[in-house]
Amino acid sequence: MLDLRAITKRFGAITALDNVSLAAADGEFVVLLGPSGCGKSTLLRIVAGLEIPDEGTIALAGRDITDLAPRERDLAMVFQNYALYPHMTVAQNIEYPLKIRRRAPHQIAAEVAAVAEKLGLSGLLDRLPRELSGGQRQRVAFARAIIRQPKAFLMDEPLSNLDAQLRMATRAELKRLQHELRIVTLYVTHDQAEAMTLAHRIAVMQAGRIVQCDTPANIYHRPSSTFVAAFVGSPPMNLIEGGLGALPRPDGATTLGVRPEDVEISTTEQSGWQPASVYVAEEMGNETVVRAAVGKTFITARVSPDTRLRFEDRVWLRLRPGKLHWFDAGGTRLPLTESCSGPRLPSPPESRSG
Amino acid sequence: MKALIKYVLAALALTAALAPVYWLFTISIKREIDQFASPPLWFHFQPTWRHYAASFSDGSFARYLWNSALVASVSTLAALALGVPAAYGLARLRWPGGWSAKIGFWILSTRMLPPIVTIVPLFLMMRSAGLLNSRVGLILIYTAFNLPFVVWMMQGFFREVPRELEEAAMLDGDSRMGALLRVILPVVRPGLAATAVFCVIVAWNEFLFALIMTQTGASTTLPVGIASRVTQYEINWGAMSAAGVVAMAPVLIFAAAAQRYLVRGLSLGAVKG
Repeated sequence: MLDLRAITKRFGAITALDNVSLAAADGEFVVLLGPSGCGKSTLLRIVAGLEIPDEGTIALAGRDITDLAPRERDLAMVFQNYALYPHMTVAQNIEYPLKIRRRAPHQIAAEVAAVAEKLGLSGLLDRLPRELSGGQRQRVAFARAIIRQPKAFLMDEPLSNLDAQLRMATRAELKRLQHELRIVTLYVTHDQAEAMTLAHRIAVMQAGRIVQCDTPANIYHRPSSTFVAAFVGSPPMNLIEGGLGALPRPDGATTLGVRPEDVEISTTEQSGWQPASVYVAEEMGNETVVRAAVGKTFITARVSPDTRLRFEDRVWLRLRPGKLHWFDAGGTRLPLTESCSGPRLPSPPESRSG
Repeated sequence: MKALIKYVLAALALTAALAPVYWLFTISIKREIDQFASPPLWFHFQPTWRHYAASFSDGSFARYLWNSALVASVSTLAALALGVPAAYGLARLRWPGGWSAKIGFWILSTRMLPPIVTIVPLFLMMRSAGLLNSRVGLILIYTAFNLPFVVWMMQGFFREVPRELEEAAMLDGDSRMGALLRVILPVVRPGLAATAVFCVIVAWNEFLFALIMTQTGASTTLPVGIASRVTQYEINWGAMSAAGVVAMAPVLIFAAAAQRYLVRGLSLGAVKG
């Protein structure tokens, strides 16, 4: 398992990481999610040994690796730009970690063949990286990472250079690969869809701190702050200052949050619903995203594609009871009352608890 | 029309560049009587190879050629061996307090001094070290003069290489030195070739230090050896030209062989790719 304790890293006057602790169990897939500059890549580089933390310790599989050189840590990393060795063929790239470790040539050949087979690279072994497509390069980078079965994988936005379609396909393949290999993985991204789909747990980072670390479901349904609420989910959660209408609110609550799918829209008047007018409606095919104005407040809703809405149409909307989130003036989630608790979540399996 | 003008201009530039080379070559194969014929004989003369035979017959030019080759190649290798690691360190390692830039500037500043002002102190140093009239002395001087150039050029090439390449190599299990040797140096090979070609040319063509530091034929290099054919009694144009052609040949061959790298090396800093 991977255990980060109280990591602090400063660059001059800037504190990039502020007392960050994170533990990942064997086989767990942990995603570091946050906007650019939140320190997620720095944290990954510290685990890799490419940056030295000012304070804190890192342990991997029961061994303190805080002061070890990158090569002594037994980690494999996949970089955003793949970092393939341009003067080496695909086969030479993949076998490099084994060559450095002076494995026997017949063993290297067998393992390269096996990994290439697994990642669909068998026909490309003699090519140079520049002769490959982006997706193929990405697979070579993965192959180089998995060939020596490291104690942990580190991935720094490995999919962000792929086009949208390929990214989704590779994302699914990656999830399957990690499931088969069962090696603890730390994955950095700013893409909340990647985080939601890949992670056993997501650590949401903001300004050098982990603000919430939980399962994707909990991150989505019980965001700990307005920052997490707004960062995860597409379209993002509605955050309404001062609440809406006469909704009862807990003590100290200033901001009401509600997911777009928890906003109901009716084209006929319903008693107790808020009248609103359609500001814009975007038909996505499988759903329609409506932005409706209630007085001066805009509320986004996801509704059935059968609902035909035009600009300025008069509609009535309701925030689904029991799906409301309240935050205090500092943006922190308020303790849930019975009336606004989230859905019952399946408890995470043993291996995923951190 | 535009293309035509372009070709005409290119032809003019080519003529201006190649005419002296052509003239040198023809002088080297003309009889004395034809060398200064008026009007000049550009194409119609009786060729002869005897200047080549003459200039190498007494063995002195062969020795100068060997001296030049030795001094240029050894000083280039030495400058690369010392300068490449220095350039890598300056380009990649994090120095506290901005020392990377300060040291870099200090290294560059050694080239801001006109070489001639260092002649007298260098001469005295070489004399007390017993390195006058020796190839070792010239190698030391050329290495020292090429070193800042190597450091600055290679620093630029190293900075072009994505940092992730060596980070990947180190995570794959290599040391920093291993990553430099196995991954980074092969990637900057065009830059290395370009730098080496420049070093060789500088050392090969150098005249001033070679003249001052060598008074006997033992360590005389080609440029000095050729110039020594200008004596107070006669100027042996034929032998000088023949030796000049021979002196030019290795540089031309070397540059042609490295041309692919030279072009990429020189444009490496300009375009990211």
